[in-house]
Order: sequence, then C-alpha cells, then structure tokens
Amino acid sequence: MTRECALLLPGVCAALADPRQPGSDDTCLEKLLDWFRSMTEFDPSVSLVQDNPCLTEFITSILALPEPSPSILSFTLRLAGILASSENRFQHLQQEKLLVRLFGVDGPLSSTVWEDASVRSGWVEGVHSMMHHQPALHFLCNGGGIDVIFALQGDPSLFVASSASRLLVHMLIFSVESETTKPFSAKDFDWPVCARMIIKHIEDSLQSSSASHVEQSLKLLTSLFSSCHSRWTEVLWLGIAKQIESFLTDETVQAQRMLANLLLNMAWSPVFCDSEGGLWALVTSALEHLTPVQVGPLAVGILRLYKCPQDVRIQALTVLLQPMDCILRAASQPLEYAGLLDESVSDPAAVESLLSSKSSCASLLCQTLAHLEELLSLVYLRVDLPYTSLLRSLMTILQFCNGFLSPASPLGSTISRILINCFRVQSSALDVLAALSERKGCDTLIGSLFDVLLAYLESPNTTPTVLKKTFQATSKWLVRLHELSCSTSQWQQTEKILADVFLVLQKRLCSPCWEVRDSSLEFLTVLIKCLRDQDEFRQSLLSSEVPRLTENLLEDPESYVRASAVTAVGHLAFITFFAPELPVIGNQYNKENTIAKLQEILSKDPEGFPRRAVISMFTKWLRQGCTGRMEDTERFVSRVIQAVEHDLDWEVRLGGLELVEVFCSQTICQLGLPRCSSVPVSSAVTSSIHQNRSLQVFCRAKLFSFLFRSLCDCDKPVGQRACDILFALRGNFYPTGTARDSQETGELPAGHGIAWLQRTLRQGSLAQNFPTGGGNGVDFEDPESMMLALGTIDLEELHDELNRSSDHVEKSPQSLLQDILATVGTIEENEADCY
Amino acid sequence: MPEIKVTPLGAGQDVGRSCILVSIAGKNVMLDCGMHMGYNDDRRFPDFSYITQNGRLTDFLDCVIISHFHLDHCGALPYFSEMVGYDGPIYMTHPTKAICPILLEDYRKITVDKKGETNFFTSQMIKDCMKKVVAVHLHQTVQVDEELEIKAYYAGHVLGAAMFQIKVGCESVVYTGDYNMTPDRHLGAAWIDKCRPDLLISESTYATTIRDSKRCRERDFLKKVHETVERGGKVLIPVFALGRAQELCILLETFWERMNLKAPIYFSTGLTEKANHYYKLFITWTNQKIRKTFVQRNMFEFKHIKAFDRAFADNPGPMVVFATPGMLHAGQSLQIFRKWAGNEKNMVIMPGYCVQGTVGHKILSGQRKLEMEGRQILEVKMQVEYMSFSAHADAKGIMQLIRQAEPRNVLLVHGEAKKMEFLKQKIEQEFHVNCYMPANGETTTIFTNPSIPVDISLGLLKRETAIGLLPDAKKPKLMHGTLIMKDNSFRLVSPEQALKELGLAEHQLRFTCRVHIQDPRKEHETVLRVYNHLKGVLKDYSVQHLPDGSITVESILIQATAHSEDQGTKVLLVSWTYQDEELGSYLTSLLKKGLPQSTA
Repeated sequence: MTRECALLLPGVCAALADPRQPGSDDTCLEKLLDWFRSMTEFDPSVSLVQDNPCLTEFITSILALPEPSPSILSFTLRLAGILASSENRFQHLQQEKLLVRLFGVDGPLSSTVWEDASVRSGWVEGVHSMMHHQPALHFLCNGGGIDVIFALQGDPSLFVASSASRLLVHMLIFSVESETTKPFSAKDFDWPVCARMIIKHIEDSLQSSSASHVEQSLKLLTSLFSSCHSRWTEVLWLGIAKQIESFLTDETVQAQRMLANLLLNMAWSPVFCDSEGGLWALVTSALEHLTPVQVGPLAVGILRLYKCPQDVRIQALTVLLQPMDCILRAASQPLEYAGLLDESVSDPAAVESLLSSKSSCASLLCQTLAHLEELLSLVYLRVDLPYTSLLRSLMTILQFCNGFLSPASPLGSTISRILINCFRVQSSALDVLAALSERKGCDTLIGSLFDVLLAYLESPNTTPTVLKKTFQATSKWLVRLHELSCSTSQWQQTEKILADVFLVLQKRLCSPCWEVRDSSLEFLTVLIKCLRDQDEFRQSLLSSEVPRLTENLLEDPESYVRASAVTAVGHLAFITFFAPELPVIGNQYNKENTIAKLQEILSKDPEGFPRRAVISMFTKWLRQGCTGRMEDTERFVSRVIQAVEHDLDWEVRLGGLELVEVFCSQTICQLGLPRCSSVPVSSAVTSSIHQNRSLQVFCRAKLFSFLFRSLCDCDKPVGQRACDILFALRGNFYPTGTARDSQETGELPAGHGIAWLQRTLRQGSLAQNFPTGGGNGVDFEDPESMMLALGTIDLEELHDELNRSSDHVEKSPQSLLQDILATVGTIEENEADCY
Repeated sequence: MPEIKVTPLGAGQDVGRSCILVSIAGKNVMLDCGMHMGYNDDRRFPDFSYITQNGRLTDFLDCVIISHFHLDHCGALPYFSEMVGYDGPIYMTHPTKAICPILLEDYRKITVDKKGETNFFTSQMIKDCMKKVVAVHLHQTVQVDEELEIKAYYAGHVLGAAMFQIKVGCESVVYTGDYNMTPDRHLGAAWIDKCRPDLLISESTYATTIRDSKRCRERDFLKKVHETVERGGKVLIPVFALGRAQELCILLETFWERMNLKAPIYFSTGLTEKANHYYKLFITWTNQKIRKTFVQRNMFEFKHIKAFDRAFADNPGPMVVFATPGMLHAGQSLQIFRKWAGNEKNMVIMPGYCVQGTVGHKILSGQRKLEMEGRQILEVKMQVEYMSFSAHADAKGIMQLIRQAEPRNVLLVHGEAKKMEFLKQKIEQEFHVNCYMPANGETTTIFTNPSIPVDISLGLLKRETAIGLLPDAKKPKLMHGTLIMKDNSFRLVSPEQALKELGLAEHQLRFTCRVHIQDPRKEHETVLRVYNHLKGVLKDYSVQHLPDGSITVESILIQATAHSEDQGTKVLLVSWTYQDEELGSYLTSLLKKGLPQSTA
C-alpha cells in the first residue's frame, strides 16, 4: 500500500462506518474489496492489519452499530474474510474476537439483517475468502457454521444458494487435500472431520424425500467432479453410486436433467472415465432411460469425449439422431422406409409423441439441431455421421417449415402442421446446414438442396433473421458446389444455380427492409471473397444486375447498408477494374467513378460506419497492390490522408494510420532500404539516396503532418498507432545507434522548429492538444526537417506515455479512496439519479 | 395453482442495470438487458449463467423485451446475443431499434478507446444484434408464439420508451421500464389502459420523492447558462449523444430565440445529425405541442445550434458546447474540459449521473485538484453545476399508474431498497394489493387465480330465473348447464341446446345389476311373484307387466331367467337409466332381500 493510500484509509473507514452518511456507491465498495484482494493475494503477512489498525477498528465499529445497513454489513463480512485469508491475519482478527462476532452463531446470523440477501451473500463470500488454511476450517466446523452453509444451499436467492454450493465444494476439496494424513488408499480411506460432515450431508440429502435436497446434492457433486480430479472422488462416488443409479429408474425423483449433467462431468474426469467403476454402464442406462429432451446434452457431451468406449459413443449418436430419423420416416411413404437409423436405443414412440405435440415439437427439434451443429463443429468426430441422411432430414425439416412438404402419413402431416412458419426451427436447421457443407459425402443431394435454399431466398415469408441464415448456408454450399463442379465438370448445373441465386439477390437488394439489404450485401461480399477466382462465378455475377444495384446502395439512407455497400463495391473492384484481365462484360465499370464515389463518402458521409468501411477498403486495395504505379499510389494516399485527418470518428483516423503504415512499408520495400534489399548495401551514400527518395515521397504525401498531429489526438489509440509508425520509420531511416542527439539540433537550420515540436508533443500528448494554427515554423513537407524530427524527438518517452492505460488514474486505489472521501456529505440525490 | 415467477438479475433493489426474468404460464421472458457503467470488467453485465442451469439460453427464453434505449436497459444486449449466444427473438419499439445502436456504438467507442479493454462487443456485433430485433408499434398486439403475446404502451421518459404487457392466456404482467407521468418539453406522459394485470413490475427510482416542478429546474439551468455567457464565460455540457441532449437543445434554442442572444451554441458530436433525424422521423412519439407545430417549424431543426469544430474551443468569447461523453472520462468532452477548467469565468454543467473514477464524478463530489495522466495536476477553477433532468415518475406518478392499470400485485424494481420499502407500504395500504421488492437473484412467486369469463345463454338464464329468485350480483347462484368451449370462448347453455348446437345425439346410459333369488318355480311364475311384490310396495309408481314377460317400473326394466347350473335359482336382470338412479338402487336392494312368502 502506498503512503498516500495509507494516509487516506483511516478517513475512508471512518466515513464508511458512519451511519449518518448516506450509503456509499456499491461499485466503490466492490472496487475497494478488489483492492484488498489484490493486496492480500500474495502477501500472507500480518502487516496490512497491523499497520492499518483502522481496518479492525472499522469492523469493531460496524459490529457495535445497533442497526448497520445491510450493504455496509455485507461489505464488512467480505472484507473480514479477505483479511482472514492468511493464517497470520486470521489469528490477529481472532485475538480481537472479530471473526466469531461476524461469522459465529451470535453474529448477524441471528439478527434481523440476516433476512437481507446481501448480508447472507456477504457471509458466504467472507467464509469462502478465508477458507485457505486449517484454522479457518476448524473455526467454521466447530462453531456450527457448516450447518449454516448446508441451509444456505436452499436459499431463496439464487446468488446465495450457488455461492454456498461452491463454498462446500471448496471446503471438501480443501479439507481432504490439506487434512489427510495417511497416504491414499481406495479401500480404507480416512476422511478428515470436515470432509466427513459434508459427505454425510450429501448422503443424507440424496436419501431425502425432498426433491430440492436431492437436487442440491447432485449440483454439488457435479461441481465437485468437474473441478477436482483426485482419486478420492471415486471413493466418495462408490458410497453413493447405488443411490444415484436408482434415480435413473425412479420416476418419482425429478432429477434426471441434473443426473445427465452429473454423469457428463464424471465422464470428463480421468478418475472415472478410466476406471472400472461402472460409469459407462450408468451412462448407457441413462441414454436408455432419460427422455429425449433430457438425454440430448448428455449424448452430445459423450460424443465430444476423447476417451469413451466406442459402443457408448454409437449409442449416444443414435439417441441424438432419433428425432431426425423420426422426421425422415414421417416424411416417407408408408412402405418406403427411409429412416436414418438401423435400430434405436430407446422407444421411438417417445420421440414420435414429443414431435407430434405442439408444445414440445419445436423445442425438441431446436435442441437436437443445436447439438448437431455443435457436433459438426468438432474437428475430430470419433463416430461416422450419416451425412447424406442427415442432409435429407434437414431438407425435410426446412420443407415442413415453409409448407413445401405435407406428407400423407399421419405423423408427417401433424409435424408439418406444427412446424409451418416456425422460425426458430428454420434458423436452427439452417445453422446445421451451413455447418454440414464442410463435410464431404452428401453431394448427391446438392441439386435438390439448392431448390430448398432458393425457395427460402425467394419466399416473402422468410423473416430477415432466417434470410440471413439462408444466405450464410447458401454461400457455404456454393463454395462446396464449386469444388464439386471442378471435380465432375458439371458446369451447367453450377451456372444455372448461380444465375438463380443472382436473380433472387437482385430482388433482395431492393428490399424495403434494411436488414435484408444489408444481409444481401454481406452475402455478396462473402461470395466474392470465396469465389472471385472462378470464371463461371464472375461471369454470372457481372452479367446480372447485382453490381449496378450494389453501387446504388452506396446512397442508401441506412448507414449500415451504405457501409456494407462500400465493402461489397470494394470487393467487386477486384473482379472488375482491378482484375488482371478486364472481363469483357465488366468494361462498363469505371474505376475513376467508383473511387471518386468512395472518396466522397469518406469525406462527406455524416456517419462513421461508411467512412470506416471506405478507409478499410482502401487499405485492402493498397495491400493488394491495386492502387497503380508509385506516383498514383502517392497521390491516392495523400488524398486519403487529407480526407481523414480531421474526421470526427477516431476509428476512421486510426484506419487512416493503418493505410499510412501499409504505404510506408510498401514504399520502403519498393525503394529498397537496406533492410528490405536482397543485396547488402555497403555504401552509406546509396543508402542515404534511397532514404531520401522514400522520405521525399512521404513528405509529398503530407504523411508526417498527419503522424505528428496524431500523436496529440484526444483518442489514445490514434496517438499510439502514430507513435508506432514513427518508431518504425525511425528504425528504417536510422540504423541502431545513429539517431541524433537532441543537443545538436539547435545548431541546425530547422532546429528551432523541431525543438518547438518536441516541446509541443511532450505537452500535447499529455494535454491532448496540438495547436490548430499550424506548425510554428515546422515544415512537415521538408525531408530534411522530418529526418531531423525523427532523429531527435524522444519517441521512446512518448511511446511509454501513450502506452500507459488511459484510465490508470481512474482505476488507481488512491483515486478511489479520494472519491469515497469526497462523496462524504454530498447531496444524496446525485447517487440515485441514473442516466 | 398457476404462478408467475420474477427474478431480477439486475435492478432488484438497485439502479445499476435492468435485467428481469419473468416466468408466466410456462413462458420465460427477459425484460431489459442492461449494462452497469460503473465497472470495467464482466461485472458490468448481468450474470446470465443464472438464467438456466442446464440447456441453451435460446431454448429456455421465449423472448427478450427492451423497454428503451438507455444503456442501463439495453447495454448488454449485443453481449448477450452475440457473445453469450442467445439467438431468439428480441422486441423493442421502432424508435428504440433506431436509436439503440447509436448509443451502443457511442459507448463501445469510448470503452475500446481505453487500453486493455477486452471482452467487449464490436460494431459488427451491434449490427448483427440489431438485425435480430423485431420492432413493434404502440398498442400493437404482437404474437411471439401461439400462446405468448406482448403489447407496448407509451412510457414518456425518452423517445421510444415503452411499457410492455406480456400476456399468456388470461394471465398477464405489465413491465413499465422507466416512465414519466408528467409530459416534458418534447415527450408526453406515460399512459396505460385499465388492463388489470396479475402483476405490475414498476420502476421506483423516485419512490419517495415528489419532484419539484420541472419548470423550476429549467429556469435554474437557463439562468446559470445565461449568467456565465453574459460575463463572457464558456459553458461545457457533457452529454451522451441522445436523450437528454435533445431536451437541453430545445430548451436553449427557445431561450436564445426569446432573449435574442448571440453567443454561439455548438454540438460537438457528429451523431447529433442522426439523432435529430430520428427525432424528426418519430415525431408521433413526441408530445402534442411538438406534433402540432411540426408543420410550421420542426422543433429539431435548430437555428442557433451549430456543429462544433475542434478549433473553436480556443476561440475567445462566450460559447456553449455540448460534448460527448457525458461523464468526462475520455474523448472530446474531457479535452474541452482540460482547456477551460482553469478559468473561473467558465462553467461545466453535468446533466446526469457519473460513475466513480470518472472526472465527472470527481468534480461533482467537490474535488478541485485532479491528477491527470503523467501526474499532472489540473486545478479546476471553473464552476461545476449538477442539473438533474431525469424523466422518471415520482411517488405520485407511480401511484397514479397503479390506479390506472389496477394490477392485482405490484413488484418494485430499479430503485433503492430503503425508498422502495416506504413506497411498498404506501401501495399496500392504499390499493390493498401485495407489493414485492426482490433483491437481485431472489425469486418472487405470485400465485394467480385466473378468472375466466363465461357467457350464459339467455334460454338457460330464463329457465333458471323461472325456477328461482331473480339474479343478485352479490349472492352467488348455483346454475346447471353444459359448458361449451369453442372458438376461444366459454359458454354455459342448457344440455338440450348444447346437443343441438354441437349436432350430437344424447347417449342413453343404463345401469344393470343381477339379483339372484331362490325360487324353484317356472320363470314366468317368478316374474309374476316379483310383479305382485313390487306393485304392493311401490304404490305410487307405474309398475307394468309386459307381454314379453318383463316388468317395468318407470324406466326400470326387470327380466328373469333360470340359472344355467341351478334351476332352483332365478336370475333377475335389472336395468335402469341414470335419471332413475335412486329408484333403481332402491329396487335392487329390495329385490336382494328376496320375495315375501305371502305373495306365493
């Protein structure tokens, strides 16, 4: 703790303990606790409490209050817990009997303030903080505190209940791992006292007739097995395994969902997944007995496991695919069985009945689809997924949802009636469809798949959210289609599909709904990014109306759409006027026109998004070498700098600096400084000429004025970026150790200006203020001056200053203490008023 | 018994960040998804892990509703939908949908401006989130799914703010969000119809305050600005891009016009244009006065307020500047503050709450020597004023809304515990309804007693009144009839009418019973003995002996057959209708006693 803070602390404690003062802002108290936590975390010594007696005095005075406010009492409990986190400080507080009075049975526990959830929460958190040494453990177990925690597991406040559960897990692990004296033995394990109390509580709760008690114990076990992978957990498990197994078949116990979670967490633990302890038999039984809704998370969790018997995996997959199997069967003719599974694990009737009920059909399907998407996102899947059938089932679901399929079977017609226009199911199915595109093996259906996708793209009933997902799936499958047509040479089908897609895209680009126009543009950009090298794609796109409509959207009233249009137009340029060979059908695209339009947006658009999009596109163009010859590029960059340097949006200015950075490195590379040159430059003269050429280019492009001014930008990231660039430039122009001594500059002709610049920058970066009037004699376009500036200005100092967090004052403990002290006596109304 | 459960994850006994979970008739709805600006880490967002212990959020929640665009009500939305993974529907009004992203973007920019900020949403995430939003109109009933419907009501407070009614079947909850029961310079007063919800969840920021007249506060504000400008000082007003800024702009604009003042007023952010555009676009959401004068002159086309350029801050002479951000913690407003702070002629007016740590908070709490970056000390000599223009309902307003909506229960959120406690007692006393105030993480369960309206057919009513007394509203009356549930309505009609309406034929239900009696005689003789016995006992009833050998007593039919194995035992088959249940039972027990000897 700094001296300043130590001086402020007594006053703060006194203010907090004063019941006449209005309660301090909760965030202040939280931040104060953060500070104490950071001070005690790595320092077990007693000095904090000894050197600052105001802390114990504060606790004493709060305990002496007849009616402390719940928030300050809760704060005190948590503070005391943090202070007592080391044995030394614990003993110190114990000597004054503070901990007994705070956490013992006669403390807040037995007063009316206990009814306030924040006090209970403070009590649990306080205990948790101190629970890092044995005296604390004994203090709690001997003083009856552990029963309080057991009771708090069922607290009406979710926060308190879950903290209590976490605390018990922590205590159990801590007790076993710190108090066990004998070496571990599975047969004859001697539980320490505290652990024994907790285990007894778990066993009793599991046998209880109260569902909530069972639930609490299952939660506790789940969290224990997920956080502790020691071998003793198995001994604990063996004692309760039978009881838990019985829950699977006992329908009176409503804990199946929890059970699935428990088993899953056990399966992740190396203790259980490797042992013969019967975990897999239990998992198998769970897969059979749990309802389709309960079993989903377990099944998908099993499939994510690295270590798991293959038969259990297959069983889990079967369970997961059951609803999809049912969908396929429901859609097929009675005699033509076209399911997805050869056999099922549990009764298919259960799935059928859930799917034919209005209240459960959509939720079961959404859950299954989400699990399938999760499965498809795995890099290594250790079972074979029947991709083709899965795709067929997805298409069936999508067709049920848009009313394109109404099968004759009673189940099929029921499901299709329920699913029609169900956007939740549509969204989920499209997500899976997109994920499936990356898996090979379902190519035979690709033609009919596009029929389904196009129907969605065309339908006026498709909601904007569903349309966006359809676009995402379509773009992924178009890439797949292209790969396929490359290998099979089925270009006709591809061309037909592309033509249809662009036809519908044309319509969507004119939608009255901005969300649709925006998603359409994003879709177009993705397509160009992925397929711009393909002739058929380029031809289809350029022969459609899409490019023209896209350009029109640069004037859209919605700024989001304008920004997306900028990005799309920028990418279109890669296949039109920036293409190595200008396509015949693309010759109507006028490069100058488009660039002028984008430049106009950059300097005139009233909103940030389109301007940001333009600057980022320009940088992309520059990176890809599309801006033409050196001189053209120089002019281009110069124009861009002029447009962005006074932009109100700091992210646009930052984008401008990014462009400058790319330009600098490209120029230096092209003009061949020693660093980039393939031939080592031996002569200092050659090097100096090269340097001068780059420097001249940079000066002509007005780059230095932008960079130096940016150092004083009122938004930190801009200054930091500018400093980084200047730093890099100096590295290029001045090989290590050759930078000038600032003493020398005064003697040079440009020296006065540069000295002024250095002073200004030093103050400016702090005051965030570069004089608006100009450079006071500094010529930012003069190579010599700029070379001098680079060499003399203390960029390291600026760099360090700028890289300091801009809110370090805001975050400092001293500022916090000052703020709390300053708030004493201010009008209460300021506190309550919100936004 | 049906129940409604409410669990605040935020705004339970605090004003930090609103996020309230409501469970009604099996549907789960999240009301608001706010952010706490006082934290720099994950604590700024509600802890969404408490929503569901198992399963996906999208499967659990049926929808999210956002009441208005303030960040303590919508600031966590992009985080929730794009980073936590909620992929379901989100509802808000049209103006909120339009303005919300501006504020989110504004805040994002300020946040990422600082170093080390991670785990914060990007611009793309804000856009993707807004694309998922379904915008609703006032008083439009929106069907979220087949059972769940929502409806927005005008809430005042800020442009587009709405109260929402959430209804499943005949159970309903109204969530007020933030509201204002008195019209202000550009917005009207909140209004709701007498919808009698099972539960009204109301904000209670000013639970114990009766706000002084808004006019006084406005006069004060104008006086201070005027005095400063008159003596040649500069006035800085740090604001967020939208909301209060517009109100203050209107105030100054009209004042400048009236007093013919010449000092320039600048608005430093490029966002104003867009903000004002939305105020013009959503003119129907403003108050009557603005709407009326709209044709002649748009209130939001300011004559005196001009765009600010960074260079203007150094100009000599008086001026008024609106600059973002509102808490003086970064960017333009802080830059101007640094320039002007040292001159006692100048003034800064803070029109809103500032979180701890910000320069705004420090100067409001009276600190005059501020440590800036690089250990520089900035001495604040300029005057510092606080001006609250918060548009919340005061205690009187809250009571007025309760009177309007007539809820069966009230639950208070978005306020301080002590003040809520006071208001809670007042509400319970005055309205005789239960009032709750759960803390964050605490669940309040309200048992509902859904009253289901049933229509009674005139025929049935006439018949019932013909046999009894005239209906009396105060006395419950027993009615017999058939309940028809059809086309979402319930009707009580006479059984005959029900059959006719539904095109059904009445089923005849007959009870049967076999009675064994010892009688060695022939069957027809046994029948005759039974006939005579019954005729003798049941003198008031019509007992008949039919030609086919059976006996009837009213609707009761008796037939006799000899026992297949024992000819000395006769089996009497007795059957009767439901209407003659009493007589049938009596007759069976009579026969079970056997036949008297004398009748032989």
